Amino acid sequence: MKKKMMLLVLMITVALFISACSGDQASSDSGEDYPSESETLDWTIAFGPGGGNDVMAREMIKIMEQYDLYPGDIVPENREGGSGAVGWGYMQQNVGDPYQISTTSGSFITTPLQSDPGWDYESFTHVALMATDDMFLVVPGNSDYETLDDFIAAAKDKKMNIGGIGVANVDRMIVETFGKEAELEYEYVSFNAEGQLQSAMLSNTLDAIVANPSGVIGQLESGDMRALAFSGVERLPDYADIPTFIESGYEVNISMPRGVILAGEVDEEVRQWWIDTMKKVAETDEWAEYISKNYLSETILYGDDFTEYLDETTSVFNDILSELGVIEE
Amino acid sequence: MDIIENLLMGFSVAVSPINLLFLTIGAFVGMIVGIIPGFGPTAGIAILLSLTFSMDPVTAVIMLAGIYYGSMYGGTITSILINTPGESATVASTFDGYPLAKKGRVGPALVMQAVASFVGGTIGVILIAGFAPTFAKVARSFGPPEFFLLIAIGLLALIVVMGDNKINGAISALLGLAISLVGVDVITGTQRFTYGNPELINGIYFLPVAIGLFGLGELFYSIYQGQHKEGNREEISFKKKGEFWPSKKEWSESKGTFARGSFLGFFIGMLPGAGATVASLLSYSLEKKVSKVSEKFGKGHMPGLVAPETANNAASAGAMIPLLTLGIPGSGATAVLLGAFLMWGLQPGPLMMSQEPEFAWGLISSMYLGNIILILVNIFAIPLFIKIMRVPYKLLVPVILILCTVGTFSLHGSMVETWIMLAFGVIGFFMKLYDFSPAAVVLALVLGPMAENALRQTLITTEGSFLIFVQRPVSLILTIVILVMLIIPFIKFIKGLFNKNINEDKAA
Repeated sequence: MKKKMMLLVLMITVALFISACSGDQASSDSGEDYPSESETLDWTIAFGPGGGNDVMAREMIKIMEQYDLYPGDIVPENREGGSGAVGWGYMQQNVGDPYQISTTSGSFITTPLQSDPGWDYESFTHVALMATDDMFLVVPGNSDYETLDDFIAAAKDKKMNIGGIGVANVDRMIVETFGKEAELEYEYVSFNAEGQLQSAMLSNTLDAIVANPSGVIGQLESGDMRALAFSGVERLPDYADIPTFIESGYEVNISMPRGVILAGEVDEEVRQWWIDTMKKVAETDEWAEYISKNYLSETILYGDDFTEYLDETTSVFNDILSELGVIEE
Repeated sequence: MDIIENLLMGFSVAVSPINLLFLTIGAFVGMIVGIIPGFGPTAGIAILLSLTFSMDPVTAVIMLAGIYYGSMYGGTITSILINTPGESATVASTFDGYPLAKKGRVGPALVMQAVASFVGGTIGVILIAGFAPTFAKVARSFGPPEFFLLIAIGLLALIVVMGDNKINGAISALLGLAISLVGVDVITGTQRFTYGNPELINGIYFLPVAIGLFGLGELFYSIYQGQHKEGNREEISFKKKGEFWPSKKEWSESKGTFARGSFLGFFIGMLPGAGATVASLLSYSLEKKVSKVSEKFGKGHMPGLVAPETANNAASAGAMIPLLTLGIPGSGATAVLLGAFLMWGLQPGPLMMSQEPEFAWGLISSMYLGNIILILVNIFAIPLFIKIMRVPYKLLVPVILILCTVGTFSLHGSMVETWIMLAFGVIGFFMKLYDFSPAAVVLALVLGPMAENALRQTLITTEGSFLIFVQRPVSLILTIVILVMLIIPFIKFIKGLFNKNINEDKAA
């Protein structure tokens, strides 16, 4: 009996071990019979569970499984920390491995600008930009600020504490650009998890937060939170009564690029396979539903167009962050 | 009664053959992922999530939730058997669980952990069902200042877990705080002590440290003592009935602990960011503090096992509060559940319980049933686990080594973390040899960064003023608690001096 028990424990551990390692062993495969059914696709999610990046990655995986777009197993793994430094650092360590894939966020551009994680956007193979997402400026439901103007007027006399995720993330750049444009008295407060950020505001420690629409829709509907402005170029169809910063006269339009990347130095065939696959994903009803359900803007760019977008966005981000003094030129 | 009606409706949803089947599967899988060191509920849920897409959302969530709280049952088993925490929330269960097993009380310890898990989990579910909206308000009043003060209480509690040698204990705690400094500073983004290594950017995760210090440290120490030379360990024979069920004394000693651990655990669990790990550690400290026989803790005292076990299970129920009532995930595992809600088209948020009552109450009701299933599975499985203790130690050594190594690697697939675990195994051995406190290292490592971030977030918002800690009602209460905790030992000390003087005067 005891032998059986030990055997069982051993078997479970060995099975785990194998599944954890299989991604690393695949690196030498050529693109010919890609993707191999026996290889597990290691999907790095560079952020914690439940966030926008996590939800998108898991939605893509769901669609790919539903339509049999990928023959083997896909294992999503949350490798969070250091504003993406850990997750994409892990990708960078597996350079050349065609079974390493990840989804991007604003940090994909800002983290290497701000620190030296050992990679930048050029370290990876760019497959596709699938969407961009813009953010709400949100205040507590019981606050006095009904409109953006109320908020700005109040911020002339009182310093506003505005929270967001990360130090040099898109969250912060929205706050800093808005603060400068509207000549506010403000302080940006950095958090590392959405749950703590939202409860900090609900407990009235923060005056406002910037938040992904999908993370606060439930709270907006219930009246616990109120959105004052939207950082997109156009209003969200489902929230047409919430004005954009731009139409209110403040040039705040910084978006989070949501795309798909592979590890660096993978074969061209592999990149092409993924471009074709992502085209199929983008055409599904489920993807369209995901875009509308999560209040994203459908901005799709494949391959070199995506690279070009990343070049441009990086230089824009670089300018803003240097101006803010967040990074040294 | 609304609650009764809601619960009945919930049960009518939960009690279908297919739901019960998947609930059992979930609970069982949860136990298994809990048993494997390093492999916790977050990973278990995330991996099984993809299997649930074709299921009915209610069935799927019932199963995933089963994994979530089931892992709290399983995680303790390795803590008791081989001093290796199966996951982070069961680190505190090693403090008395393993000494109990060493004393030959492995059967009662395993039974008691199952009962404690059941009590904690069930009280947690009752509190959700009865008072979710009230607790949602409490969770909402916890911002960075309150969070900092709560963690400060936890840091004060370090003194309780660090053992009798306070100087060595303080050194251990400082070592833990020093390790916690490694990584990117969340407030400014500066890298601290990472030496450009991307693996260290996110800091040193505490679980490899805990597995090394407790699991391997104990292993090395046992070899040092020559345990591997002995044959079958005779102290554990199960001929007598009293060696399976806890004794009457053990039940009565733990009565108050069941209640305190459950409520404390539930309360801490519902605060976003704190979670079952902090809950179990604080519960242990509280229990030792209020106990009249605190010197027995750490040497195989049953309440020392019951305290963290009730707390971590109650905390996992408590974490459902912000998830169901506010749409805010309080922990990694509930964040995955939140992601699952979104995928099934449920909109998490304050309105979810009223808009999707079948779903919410079906889930809550299933948690009652899940806890019943889990205690039954546990009690029946215990004889199997006990048999592991009969295996000669020299045969267990390689198994423990493999479990610790593979478990650590499976956390993030990181070799650096695996080396960290092995290094802390050696450190853990010397700490045990020279009477330092591994528990203080782990506790400081967990709480240090939480305290630092919350304090700095608070002070940014107040422009450096500490007044906020007495201006907000909840903060004020917590500040008073801290002051009382600080002053009482001081008064005792003065009293002691005074009494001593009197005695000396009398003697003279």
